[in-house]
Amino acid sequence: MNFAERLGRIDRRIVFAFIAVVVIVPFFLPLSILSRVSPEAQRLFDAVEDIRPNDKPLLISIDFDPQSMPEIYPMLEALLRHAFARDVPVVVMALWVTGVGLGELALNQVAPEYGKEYGRDYAFLGWKPGFAAVVLGMGRSIPETYPTDQYDTPLDELPVMQGVRNYDDIPLAISLSAGDPGVMTVWIPYVQARFGQDLGAGVTAVSAADAYPFLQSGQLTGLLAGMKGAAEYEFLIAEAGYTEAATPAIQAMDSQSMAHLAIILLIVLGNASFILTRKRK
Amino acid sequence: MKQALPRLLCLVAGVVMIVQFFVPHGVSETLFSESLRWVRIISAFALILGVRSIIAHHGTRVRRRTAGWVYSAVTLTAMVVSTFIGLFVGKDANTPSLLASGAQTPIPLHMQLLYENIMAPLGATMFSILAFYMASAAYRAFRARNKEATLLLVAAFIVMIGMVPIGAAIWTKFPDVAQWLLNVPNMAAKRGIWFGIALGMIATSLKIILGIERGWLGGGRG
Amino acid sequence: MMAVVLAVLVLVALPAAPDEVRAVDTPNDDGGSITVMWTLSADDAALSAYEVVRVAEDGDEEVVAVLPAGVSRCVDEGMPDGRAFRYRVNAVLGDTLRATSALSEPAVSRAQWFNTRRVNVLVALLLFGALILYFIGTARKGKKLFIRRIAGLDAVEEAVGRATEMGRPILYVPGLAAISQISTIASLNILSEIAKKTATYASDLLVPNRDPIVYTVASEMVKEAYAEVGRPDVFRKESVFFVSEDQFAFAAAVNGIMVREKPATICLIGMFWAESLILAETGATTGAIQIAGTDQISQLPFFVTACDYTLIGEELYAASAYLARDPLLLGSLKGQDWGKLVILLILVVGSGLLLVSGVKGLEFFRAIYEFFSVA
Repeated sequence: MNFAERLGRIDRRIVFAFIAVVVIVPFFLPLSILSRVSPEAQRLFDAVEDIRPNDKPLLISIDFDPQSMPEIYPMLEALLRHAFARDVPVVVMALWVTGVGLGELALNQVAPEYGKEYGRDYAFLGWKPGFAAVVLGMGRSIPETYPTDQYDTPLDELPVMQGVRNYDDIPLAISLSAGDPGVMTVWIPYVQARFGQDLGAGVTAVSAADAYPFLQSGQLTGLLAGMKGAAEYEFLIAEAGYTEAATPAIQAMDSQSMAHLAIILLIVLGNASFILTRKRK
Repeated sequence: MKQALPRLLCLVAGVVMIVQFFVPHGVSETLFSESLRWVRIISAFALILGVRSIIAHHGTRVRRRTAGWVYSAVTLTAMVVSTFIGLFVGKDANTPSLLASGAQTPIPLHMQLLYENIMAPLGATMFSILAFYMASAAYRAFRARNKEATLLLVAAFIVMIGMVPIGAAIWTKFPDVAQWLLNVPNMAAKRGIWFGIALGMIATSLKIILGIERGWLGGGRG
Repeated sequence: MMAVVLAVLVLVALPAAPDEVRAVDTPNDDGGSITVMWTLSADDAALSAYEVVRVAEDGDEEVVAVLPAGVSRCVDEGMPDGRAFRYRVNAVLGDTLRATSALSEPAVSRAQWFNTRRVNVLVALLLFGALILYFIGTARKGKKLFIRRIAGLDAVEEAVGRATEMGRPILYVPGLAAISQISTIASLNILSEIAKKTATYASDLLVPNRDPIVYTVASEMVKEAYAEVGRPDVFRKESVFFVSEDQFAFAAAVNGIMVREKPATICLIGMFWAESLILAETGATTGAIQIAGTDQISQLPFFVTACDYTLIGEELYAASAYLARDPLLLGSLKGQDWGKLVILLILVVGSGLLLVSGVKGLEFFRAIYEFFSVA
């Protein structure tokens, strides 16, 4: 096997090792090359920016689990920071039972940064079985669907929930979604289409392509697509001076950039070998 | 008779659900959410069959000492341990269980802990393997064999570089071109496939409701 | 005297009242709601708000909504069905000045039994259903129907033969979704055909499952398939088994089976998510022939890259008809194709109508166009 042929048959393990190196190195040598924000991330940021402070709450639904945490969890943190910095009340719920722990984790992390108090500035409704019945019920009455919050406190005892009857009192709902039930299978058909709720979303990169048509049709107000979307939101809130917290997604984007370059390099090598060996034949 | 009853049930349920879609009355919505609840209850019962299958499958492997029986033993142990913890120790530190009805469980090893420290990292590891597999699959498959493959290659190149910040750093127009490729040619093709899928779904549903397609009941059709 | 002057001053400062207040039962809902519409006040730009006031039959009044200027519609929800209410809209200037409209005609809220906004869906459903039934009818009469070749399905025979020659099993994964997904049912139909072939050749079949209901159905189907070709003796109960409901635990287990058992053929057919490439790429490393099929568009690129054959979207649904060559099922495929032609026509006509409706004087074409949009 000559050199050209060898280029086309690099051992799988070498490919894996190469990818591991290019992913790990940027963690220690950050490049911070993010300089541009996509219009869909900007639109979500603007939608949160338009919510009146100390008035009706922003609703965030945690529709993901620890497996998609690297991509979506930074979005949750960034959104909470944005809302809390602007004194916008926040109501968090989960359509995935495995997302409840993540919601608690993020609220416990971010709320103290802004001196926010549970019940007064934010509430956590937790998870309820039967996602379709839950979101449809919320359109009728949130306190009837969730009589108590995650900690068994009746909703009418939480100041943040005063005057919040149904989606009419939710200026914006955001589904952070890693699949089904999520933004495309539940929030758009049941909540946006039925109740005309303004809806934003954060999705994994692999399902972003499926979410774009809803952006074009106006059913989604804004969209964060994968780690890149999370990084863009972190960039936007940092630029607006809302936070000085760490930016895990921006850092992780360096690894992703490098991994993409590495894959392109591998494809180029494969094709160089293919063309050279074909010519010889 | 063995097939007639399920087919009748399928016909009735199918027609009722189609009608439900067109009826905004509260009765229809209650029917819909109630049927979702039924599905959940039935799934819970089916899980018992699943557990029986796991025990039978892996139990046989362990008994016969077939190649790789150790993995089966690990699976069975994990199932017994997590069932025990779930039933007797509890969901998390504050939830009562069969062992402790009070606020605190006597053993600190509850379900949440298992989930956070075993399930979540294992799941994340499996998910992260994707990055490596994508690289090796792309390296193997993306060859400019003919005109179409070359076109695919060029498009993939632009999208890959345009979707990460380094793309914009190399040429500011990369993200725009990538987005255009995704939103226009890619979307057009996808919508075409979607139409086919949607019609295929309706046709298959009709065939099932009307009992033309009976494969799912086991046995012949026709 | 002072009182008269004050009254005149207030009258001069009062904004114009909203006009033509109409109240109607909100259409296409399950009752409990009345929609109120009005013509904006002539002083709309200067207003601070509109107040919508509900007046009951006994004269009880209640402000049900306070809306910003520029809004001319409000849905009043949460009232009892079957009782008449009238509405009044106040134009509010500053904090205190209110100009009151005339009372609307009474409206009664009721639940509807048919959603008129879905007439178009009903029409499409009936049309499409009729097309399919018609072609099934012609097929039943014995008319020969052409079906194009689907490489992935032609490969099934070869794949089973290969497994028999090599003495290795066939691994069939019927997707990760529940039985309620059409793709799962389509996959189970293909499994049934493959099981008949493995039964005939007496080759090994492995069917790992993620969903307990799918597992139960798959198990029954494979057993029936073996019985149907007269080989119930070759059927092994443990060849269809349940693995785990957890997505990645399932993927890990199936990867393990691929590496240990080295199947000659791997079929990944049904609904797959992020694990698609993890399964397909591991399968590729074992050197197995891989046939994939899914209606999850976002997973198709992974399958196309890593597998030998991929059933794209509707090819998956066509598979059972293709493999069984059952005229009734083939007839429905023909109906599907005609349905696609109708959609294509609607797309062209709809785009045309939208273009034409932009021309002044031809705006009514937009109404025809809007008939096709779904609410």
